[in-house]
Amino acid sequence: MGRFVPPSRRTRARVETPGVREKFLLFRVGDEIYGMALRGLREVLLSDGVALLPASPSQICVALAHRGHRLPVIRMRALFEGAQAGMPAAARVLLTEGQGRPLGLLVDEVLEMVEVDPAHIAPVPALATLLDPACFRGLFTRKDRVILLVNEHGLGGADEVLQFNAAGT
Amino acid sequence: MDGMAQANAAPVEVSIGATATLMFLVAGKQFAVDLARVERILDYRRPTRTPRRPPHVEGIIQHDGRYLPIMSLRKRLGVEGPGPANPAILLLTGIGRDPVVGVVVDQVLHVLSLPPDRLLLPPPRVFGIRAEFIRGVANAGGRPVVWLDESKFLTSAEAITLLA
Repeated sequence: MGRFVPPSRRTRARVETPGVREKFLLFRVGDEIYGMALRGLREVLLSDGVALLPASPSQICVALAHRGHRLPVIRMRALFEGAQAGMPAAARVLLTEGQGRPLGLLVDEVLEMVEVDPAHIAPVPALATLLDPACFRGLFTRKDRVILLVNEHGLGGADEVLQFNAAGT
Repeated sequence: MDGMAQANAAPVEVSIGATATLMFLVAGKQFAVDLARVERILDYRRPTRTPRRPPHVEGIIQHDGRYLPIMSLRKRLGVEGPGPANPAILLLTGIGRDPVVGVVVDQVLHVLSLPPDRLLLPPPRVFGIRAEFIRGVANAGGRPVVWLDESKFLTSAEAITLLA
């Protein structure tokens, strides 16, 4: 006979819930495809209102005038590629929230929404990027292509964003 | 191709006290790494580019359900110009914080047994590479082969330029 274990000390069996999938919005930055969790997305905006002042082509965090507020926007191409980011016609701002404050992500193009089993999301290898690991939720494979998932909360903690928010308060 | 099968096709004699290494070419120079660290050899495939990567990191590939960072030894050595059409990827263990990393080399040669009496302590620099990144130097086929300290060599941020 097995030893009695009080209910409060029993190990709870892990319950697998097949079919629970999370939705991600895929977007393009440069030649690569990335994703962000759809549940954190508030709006997708045209990039018309993104101000580039002060005008520094490699500036990572710029301002967006949105409904009477001045919000920080991360130019993802400048962040990811260090490139002097232009503004393609298909560019959009993904309005989300990072560190409890509004945050925009300026991407080159919005692609599609996909569903991913969270169990298939793996951590990003440490040697793969010099960026703070907190900027990424993980990665998964779709159609033989590895897709990195950004973490909007990690991005909201980037120095440039914190400085922007501090200057605006 | 399972390159490991090809690399191991010939019987290899490893004498007592010797270290088995895997010899390969980069920019015409012979290098070796500890065979015990080589998990597998893959055909080259284009990695997914990762953002803000170090200059010698090409990106990530998925292999057997794992995501592996891929580094180019040509770029690590500052070699300009395109490499061969069919390079190989060595999957190495024990490099940095990732369980396995992929290292792109021009061509895999063969397993080389390095007994202590064949190894020379490196001079301060070999082909421009500081001795700190080298375990030893030996002669293979009348040409020098540099046995790399693969972990230090691949994780250091120090710029290296391969000299002729």
